[in-house]
Amino acid sequence: MPEQSTLEKKKKNPTWLWNLTPLEKNNLTWLRNLTPLFGMIIIIAVFAFLTEGNIILPKNLKLMLSQAYVMMIASMGVFFIMTAGGLDFSQGSILGLSSIIFCWVSKTNILLAILAAIVTGAAMGAINGLFHVKFKIASFIVTICTMYLFRGLCEYFTTNGPIAASIQVVALNLTWLKLLLTGVVLLGGFLAFRYTRLGADIRAIGAGETAARYSGSRPDLTKFLIYVAAGAITGFASFINVVKVGAITGTAGSQLETQIMLALVLGGLPVSGGAKARFSNIVVGTITYCVLAVSLPMVLPDSATQQLVRGITFLIVVALTIDRKSLRVIK
Amino acid sequence: MELGDDMNEKFAKFKTGKYFGFIALIVMAVLFWAFFKILTPKNFGSGELIISYLQTSIQYAVGGCGFYFIVVMGLFDMSVGANIVLSSLVGVLLSRQYGYWGLILGCIITGTLIGCFNGFLYSKIKIPSMIVTIGLMLILESVANYVVALDASSFPGKLTSDSILAFSRAPWNYIVAVSAFMLLAFILRYTKIGTYCNAIGSNEYVAKSMGINVEKYKRVGFILLHLFLGVMALLTVSYGRGMLAVTGMASMDRNFKPLMGTFFGVAFKKYGCPVSAVVVGEFIITIIFNGLVALNVPTTINDFITGAVLLTIVTLTNRGALGTVVK
Amino acid sequence: MGEVVLRSENINKHFGITHAVQNVSLSFEKGEIHGLIGENGSGKSTYCNMLCGIYSISSGRFLLDGQELKVKTQVDANRSGVSIIVQETGTLSGLTVAENIFLGNESRFMHGGIKNTAAMNKEAQDLLDKYGFGRIKAPVMIDHYNFEDRKLVEIVKATYFNPKVVVVDETTTALNQSGREALFQHMNRIRNEGNTVIFISHNLSEVIEHTDRISILRDGELIDTVKSSEVTTDDLKRLMVGRELGGRYYRTDFGEPISDEVVLTVENVTVPGEIEDVSIQLHRGEILGIGGLSECGMHEVGKAIFGASYGRKGKVTLSNGTAVNSIPKAIKHSIAYASKDRDNEAVIIADSIRDNICLPSLNDLSTGKILKHSKLDKFAQENADRISVKMTGISQYVSNLSGGNKQKVVLARWLGKNSDILVLDSPTRGIDVKVKADIYALMGELKKQGKSIIMISEEIPELLGMADRILVMKDGKVNGEYVRNPKLGEEDLIAKMI
Repeated sequence: MPEQSTLEKKKKNPTWLWNLTPLEKNNLTWLRNLTPLFGMIIIIAVFAFLTEGNIILPKNLKLMLSQAYVMMIASMGVFFIMTAGGLDFSQGSILGLSSIIFCWVSKTNILLAILAAIVTGAAMGAINGLFHVKFKIASFIVTICTMYLFRGLCEYFTTNGPIAASIQVVALNLTWLKLLLTGVVLLGGFLAFRYTRLGADIRAIGAGETAARYSGSRPDLTKFLIYVAAGAITGFASFINVVKVGAITGTAGSQLETQIMLALVLGGLPVSGGAKARFSNIVVGTITYCVLAVSLPMVLPDSATQQLVRGITFLIVVALTIDRKSLRVIK
Repeated sequence: MELGDDMNEKFAKFKTGKYFGFIALIVMAVLFWAFFKILTPKNFGSGELIISYLQTSIQYAVGGCGFYFIVVMGLFDMSVGANIVLSSLVGVLLSRQYGYWGLILGCIITGTLIGCFNGFLYSKIKIPSMIVTIGLMLILESVANYVVALDASSFPGKLTSDSILAFSRAPWNYIVAVSAFMLLAFILRYTKIGTYCNAIGSNEYVAKSMGINVEKYKRVGFILLHLFLGVMALLTVSYGRGMLAVTGMASMDRNFKPLMGTFFGVAFKKYGCPVSAVVVGEFIITIIFNGLVALNVPTTINDFITGAVLLTIVTLTNRGALGTVVK
Repeated sequence: MGEVVLRSENINKHFGITHAVQNVSLSFEKGEIHGLIGENGSGKSTYCNMLCGIYSISSGRFLLDGQELKVKTQVDANRSGVSIIVQETGTLSGLTVAENIFLGNESRFMHGGIKNTAAMNKEAQDLLDKYGFGRIKAPVMIDHYNFEDRKLVEIVKATYFNPKVVVVDETTTALNQSGREALFQHMNRIRNEGNTVIFISHNLSEVIEHTDRISILRDGELIDTVKSSEVTTDDLKRLMVGRELGGRYYRTDFGEPISDEVVLTVENVTVPGEIEDVSIQLHRGEILGIGGLSECGMHEVGKAIFGASYGRKGKVTLSNGTAVNSIPKAIKHSIAYASKDRDNEAVIIADSIRDNICLPSLNDLSTGKILKHSKLDKFAQENADRISVKMTGISQYVSNLSGGNKQKVVLARWLGKNSDILVLDSPTRGIDVKVKADIYALMGELKKQGKSIIMISEEIPELLGMADRILVMKDGKVNGEYVRNPKLGEEDLIAKMI
């Protein structure tokens, strides 16, 4: 009987894991999808052990969480961009500038300020989208340029010192509020990604842009929209950012973009995006990153070594998760 | 009319030659200089200042020369800045005991080793060059911090004694820079490397079927890039009288001045004068930055200018063609 | 009979299940220009590509001067004395003319790792002068020269080292009069020097005029080798075709009337560089075939109708007057398109069968703006089953499917969309017989349902077997129109293609 011989074959051949039939591979995808989650649990366990249980103390958990809100929201926007195959290095600067705008307008009215921050973020995203889609310049170059551009503006506006928000804003620094807002935004993004055409288009464009175009997706329009959306989402995140820190300096948000990329990659997002992207990458990735960010300093006090570990981890994870089939030529 | 046709043909021939490209570059440089000179005659562009612009620009031009190989092949390297930091610090460390030899060899050999490492990793892991070099940037920055920690002198990472600062001024800085430019020109003109890198960048698939070992030449590209960066580190650490180790990808800021020169080089490739294009291009960039400073544009806006200038150069020189997929 | 310089023994080439070259044993003599002709897909280019190291050989061997030829790259082939002037661009931008000529062979000019550019340029210029192309200058970047001049450089590149065998693959179409004369001049020179030229062309009169012998390939097999002086173009055409129509697959009806109702009108459509002033009318329930040589522009017509062309002029309108200008609009108005370039343009390889099938129909499948996954799964499963896609499940990635099943996924998607007009480009290319039959059966069924199909194909038997009307294109224009009837044969179509 065929079933038996397959089983016997597996027992005899130690490399059966590498030689699965397509049917077997298909049935194992659920396992592959859970790998980032396992990774996260393992990392938490390892660091809980290494720090002798310190990291699961409430105060440290709170610390991790507080870093997570802004990152998770902003990562959602970048998630859409990366799923479609692009990259965005400008999110940190967008956060900084939107935060500044928020602070200014918050002196008048907080809700208006939130709106202003969102609009500013969207405008910056639109610039990214314009240069990438209209002039066909690679997304990483465009967004590196705009990163410097927007950051320069941040530095300029804070020449005379940090910009503070109005006092009522700081009063809003409540955990339940931040959790609620983050949850709502993520839920919205999740529903849009999984249950609307937009999500399907984004994944199709990342997996095969030309073929997606021939199936009715509109790559140019979609890509432009997600850059605008990512900017707007980060604009909203700046509200939470300001609520947390109270005042903005010139270096606000710097390196956020690469932290986001590291987080998404740790969450299992293939760096070239495509159909294997899952919304859970955002949540799992951000949590894993925050755990590492808080735990590493406890285990390795020296920031250079922390960065070394981060760099090596990044390379290993990317090498394992990248979807080489969807890249024709590797440049 | 015969005479007219003859002149047209001569002009057409001239237009394709390298002199045309070179002259166009010089004209551009003069125009930019004139632009700022007219706007702010006092703070900008005097004879002395021009010399100082030149001295500043040649360090970036050296880096730009190295970057040329990589960009021409369609690859990218984010760890450029990290290399400069690390090579500088190794040079400083070795200079404590071995003086000039330590400085020179420390910078250049470190650079080359980094290039070998990058190239090897890129080949083995098969991830797009941009992504893998982000990881490398993180690693190199960390290593640079360890190197500084090894420096037991009273000013770690700094070159305080005048006896080691020959490269921070004429004539030695010019000698180093010009040697680097000549090396690039030599490689492009007298070895297969330039031809093959161009071929790979033009059409990797066809190049492979012509028997070109694409993987090998990509690795060679990385080694050359980092070798030139080692030379640039020598100049940078001398100019700056030392180097600061950083973390958090702050070294990325150093990537872009050399890159801008490279874009000039690539844009002028078809006129056959890439080396001049890199050098004059960097000079023009330096003029722009200094000109804006002279105009009292606040220095905090420096990053803004970097972003704007780079974006403009890329839009003008590197746009994708209609119908291509750009990620 | 002259001395044999090159011989092939039972050369075979398989691309997946397609047997492109079948047991071809052919010999070429010294000092001859040997023509190689055949329709699209006859295997002539594939055969020569194997000779020159561009493709690998599946089985069999080539013997050059009695020695087996084992080449992996074009440069290897050159070193053995075989070269090819390819159909597309064989020169690389960003390099000088001299660099292009000597690419891969610079070792002659290298001393201790140093390239003597001056010597290289000088030798290149000498060669160019010798060939009569002296106005092309060796040290100049090749980007400054147009396509024609670049082809001339390729001629120098492929022949300067006196190869024993030179393959000229459809090069004459790229050249103007003077370029062509120069090419023939050099072909004659090579022959007179005792070497061999293999000349591939569709221009039969040119082939007869300039060759000594001609070999004809059909469906990957060698049919015959004849003396050029003893044949006419009609003889050649007859040898190129003349196969059985093999009835089981195709339609067996003839003379069924086509409805007068026009569903799609193409008016004066021009795409610069591809097609010119093409006008077509498609009727309800009609299968309209479009055929021609591979570069005749017919593939672009399909793209133009679907709204996928860049720079298209002219009008494509539906019966209700709607103009089709973009892909989303075409899809919305019930036009479907299956591209010849399946892996890049038809299926998203790195994605599941389910996503591929559902994508164009997402708007229809959503309630409000919401998509329910159970609905999508059902839709995909139904349509995949309808056309019997062989898969492990709708979550399977398309990359793991065979060519035939990939095509089924493409068709399943359009069946699901219930498109009224289907533009199918090379629908059965590279597909095995069983799936081919399935696809033809499907087409017949769709026709009965009143759907209209445009079938663009390089396989003449397919057109004759399935189409109600056939348009033949040549050089970007419509050159002939035939109505389905049992007496219509391949020669009629070929006459209008060449």
